[in-house]
Amino acid sequence: MNFKDQWRFVRSNMKRSKSRIFMTVLATAMGVTFLIVLASVGFGLHSTLIADILQDRSVTQMQISGIENDDGYAPITDEEIAELEKIDGMNAVTRQQRLRQTPRFSIDDYNGSTETVVTHFPSELKAGMELAEGDLPEKSYEVVVGPHFIENIFPKDLPADAEIYDKEGMLNEDYKYDESLVGKEIEMVVEQNVDNEIKEHTITLTITGIVEPPAKNWLQDQQVYISEEVLADVEAFTETSRGAVISEDQPTSGEEVEGYDNVYGYADSLEEIQAIMDDLTEKDYMVYSAASELESLNSVFTIAKAGLIFIGTIAILIASIGIFNTMTMAVTERSSDIGIMKAIGAHPKKIKQIFLLESSYIGLLGAVIGTVVAFVISILLNIGLPRIIESAFGQELPEGFQFSSIPPSLILISVVICLIVTIISGLKPAKRATEIDVLKAMRREM
Amino acid sequence: MIEAKDINHTFLLGKKQNETALQVLTNISFSVAKGDILAITGKSGSGKSALLNIIAGFMKPTSGSVWVKEKNVTNFSEGEFADFRLDNIGFIFQNFQLIPSMTAYENIELPLVLKGLPEKERKERTEQTLEKVGLSNYHQHYPSELSGGQQQRVSIARTLVIEPPIILADEPTGSLDSETEQEVLDLITGLNKDLGITFLMITHDEEVARIASKKIHIHDGEIVKEEVSA
Repeated sequence: MNFKDQWRFVRSNMKRSKSRIFMTVLATAMGVTFLIVLASVGFGLHSTLIADILQDRSVTQMQISGIENDDGYAPITDEEIAELEKIDGMNAVTRQQRLRQTPRFSIDDYNGSTETVVTHFPSELKAGMELAEGDLPEKSYEVVVGPHFIENIFPKDLPADAEIYDKEGMLNEDYKYDESLVGKEIEMVVEQNVDNEIKEHTITLTITGIVEPPAKNWLQDQQVYISEEVLADVEAFTETSRGAVISEDQPTSGEEVEGYDNVYGYADSLEEIQAIMDDLTEKDYMVYSAASELESLNSVFTIAKAGLIFIGTIAILIASIGIFNTMTMAVTERSSDIGIMKAIGAHPKKIKQIFLLESSYIGLLGAVIGTVVAFVISILLNIGLPRIIESAFGQELPEGFQFSSIPPSLILISVVICLIVTIISGLKPAKRATEIDVLKAMRREM
Repeated sequence: MIEAKDINHTFLLGKKQNETALQVLTNISFSVAKGDILAITGKSGSGKSALLNIIAGFMKPTSGSVWVKEKNVTNFSEGEFADFRLDNIGFIFQNFQLIPSMTAYENIELPLVLKGLPEKERKERTEQTLEKVGLSNYHQHYPSELSGGQQQRVSIARTLVIEPPIILADEPTGSLDSETEQEVLDLITGLNKDLGITFLMITHDEEVARIASKKIHIHDGEIVKEEVSA
């Protein structure tokens, strides 16, 4: 007896007791829905917290703030960068230095002043720096700008009483530069105090790209990212480290500044993070990674999710009582048919398989329906709950907050639990079917 | 083809630990040659049904052995006997024993389904057998829509479809009127002559037993008379 014929038997048997089967499938589906929705809250909150931790950061990223020494702390210099780049599993080491003056930038008839950062573009490229528009610079005098740079430049001939910002503090649309910045030439004007006289130096740059906006929408990135060659040009003019403007008020402003302000290491993969972190800590580097924060978060949530799945499984176990009942009734009702089949040569194994197939089918149907309903409930929860919380408690949930999440692994776990439970609950009735006495069964028919 | 050796069977009656033994078969030995029709006759309660059930493998004898096609089937497991029956033994029951939720076609096809034959071959053989028993026009009828004679023909067709070398018949005409009874008996003798099928049937009716080539009469669980037709 092949599977197709067993399947035909199951379907024709199930047709005979449609309402009973429907109720059993319904109970199973409710159990599966309960399990998935309950566990989805754990998965949703977990993914929300992970997303929050990883905002603007890659999971393979390590922040290297400095190196501990006898004096307390020393910034990362090119010497350490070279050492860091040699570490096994280290993909890239990005570094940034802040220009020690705020240059003025002019583009067409617009201008504005903003912070400028010296970036090592080859390492940013290797680390996978993402741009919202355009490409990373390939030449020395090419730059990329932050996504909010455009909001920091205004028309040059603005009247004194012009309202540059609206009531919400946003740049008035009338004064906004309305062309794409990519490919545009921009003039960077740096200055230096020479014998109490301010002298200016203009460097012409080309914008090749605009950086991806920060994930936190309240963060602003107005910076201009220049190359080390442009920095050298600035330093040649100012004759100070990182273009510092000499000031009489601050006699130390012209002093040499060592090292980088921001250094980030990027591991080849998540698995290598811990080894690199251990290595760096041993070498007295001050290092922090989201991955280590994630590790403790993950272990807490794994326990929480397992607990929720366990509680959800109880609902399926309750549904399995219904399956056991339905299958027992099916065996009792069909005992004469089973007797006849055994009399003409049906192997007990085949009879067992037919009943197990039936209970598995009930379980599978319940799992599929339950999963679909769980998805609908999950979507409604994610849409409705923030609104309910907002109207009931007056508290706005953070953007991107996900209360319920159903990953494929949760579906797989639920379906497997459901199938195991339904098969186990069908085992005893199926065994009973194989033990039916042919003579007694046929006598009942008479 | 079939051989019973010193079969004894005892039923235990009553509640456990307070059972009484009832001997229903005592030292039964007989054999059926290939192509024979053996009729086991006897009054109701004589033990003939118990004997058929033992030979069919539905019951195990208290002692003795049953040999079918030179194989000792007495200690076959339920699964082994099921496979053996499917290949070698067909049944005709007094009450037809058709599955009521299946059509005549599906009932006849059932043994072929159990054997796992391909659908095309099943269809061919089922239709041929339906035609052989004269029920081609009734293939989509359920047992409840057929007369007693037609139901018995479906039951015979279900047996014939696997072309078994042996058919065991339990009062094959017990539920039929005299006209239909003759039709069924003609069918049995025809199958025996044309296909060489060996029959072992139990009946209380001497008229039915007349078609047999060999007769055994049982009384109180013992063989009291054996006859071989000329």
